[in-house]
Amino acid sequence: MHRRTVLGTVAAALLAPLPSISFSTPAPPNAEVYIIWPPDGAVIDGGKFWVRMGLRNMGVAPKGVDMPNVGHHHLLIDTDLPPMDKEIPNDRNHLHFGAGETEARIELPPGKHTLQLLLGDANHKPHDPPVYSKKITITVR
Amino acid sequence: MRKLILGAALAASLLLNGGMPGHAVAAGPTPAPPNAYLYIGFPNNNQVLPAGKPIKVWFGLRGMGVAPRGVTFPNSGHHHLLIDTDLPPMDKEIPNDRNHLHFGAGETETTIELPPGKHTLQLLMADDKHIPHNPPIYSRKITIYVK
Repeated sequence: MHRRTVLGTVAAALLAPLPSISFSTPAPPNAEVYIIWPPDGAVIDGGKFWVRMGLRNMGVAPKGVDMPNVGHHHLLIDTDLPPMDKEIPNDRNHLHFGAGETEARIELPPGKHTLQLLLGDANHKPHDPPVYSKKITITVR
Repeated sequence: MRKLILGAALAASLLLNGGMPGHAVAAGPTPAPPNAYLYIGFPNNNQVLPAGKPIKVWFGLRGMGVAPRGVTFPNSGHHHLLIDTDLPPMDKEIPNDRNHLHFGAGETETTIELPPGKHTLQLLMADDKHIPHNPPIYSRKITIYVK
């Protein structure tokens, strides 16, 4: 009995949240980001197209705006999700929409490409829980 | 010579009045990019939708960004959905009622429920203070049928 209590205390200590250095911005658990257009599997002629970014149960705000339940869109092209506890990279594979844009005109070379959306907070970091879309595949010809 | 002076005076008055003598264009104080384009992504114009089911409305915006109310950020605003009504005055706060839905939390889509019949939908952007931009950014008014 006594031993069990000690064990329980140790377990509780281990389970207690560790002090974390950076805090993530909370997101509503039912928030959902998704790509409205193009649809998964779309074949696009020419390679220039608009991506329409959809967001449910959350709002869009430009970068630097620190308000509850908002974020801005990031479009990941031909890449996997970046680390969820760091600033989202800013390069050709990670497009930032820090002005609150909800659509983007992009151009891709012929071939298969993947697209995925990831919401970032005022400081370009993913939320907790992270809000990202399904990764879709499109073909440019 | 006299004709020339008259012509010059007329041209000057036209210039001073922005080409429309006596008709100042009403608009809010916040500038918007002239190429900003606001549209209803869905439903489509003249679409027939089933009664008793929530209708999803997606707000399309190009050449401009979304920001919640109270946020002053260049070339941004928040969406307002006008239901069964005409455009309000373009230099005043957009009314806040059943016919003018505000999306001040930066929402870019919504679901609405409408009684059976013919309805109109139109989007209008507004600045941090709920006043339309200059030039005002609004979508085409679409008609939908709920039955």
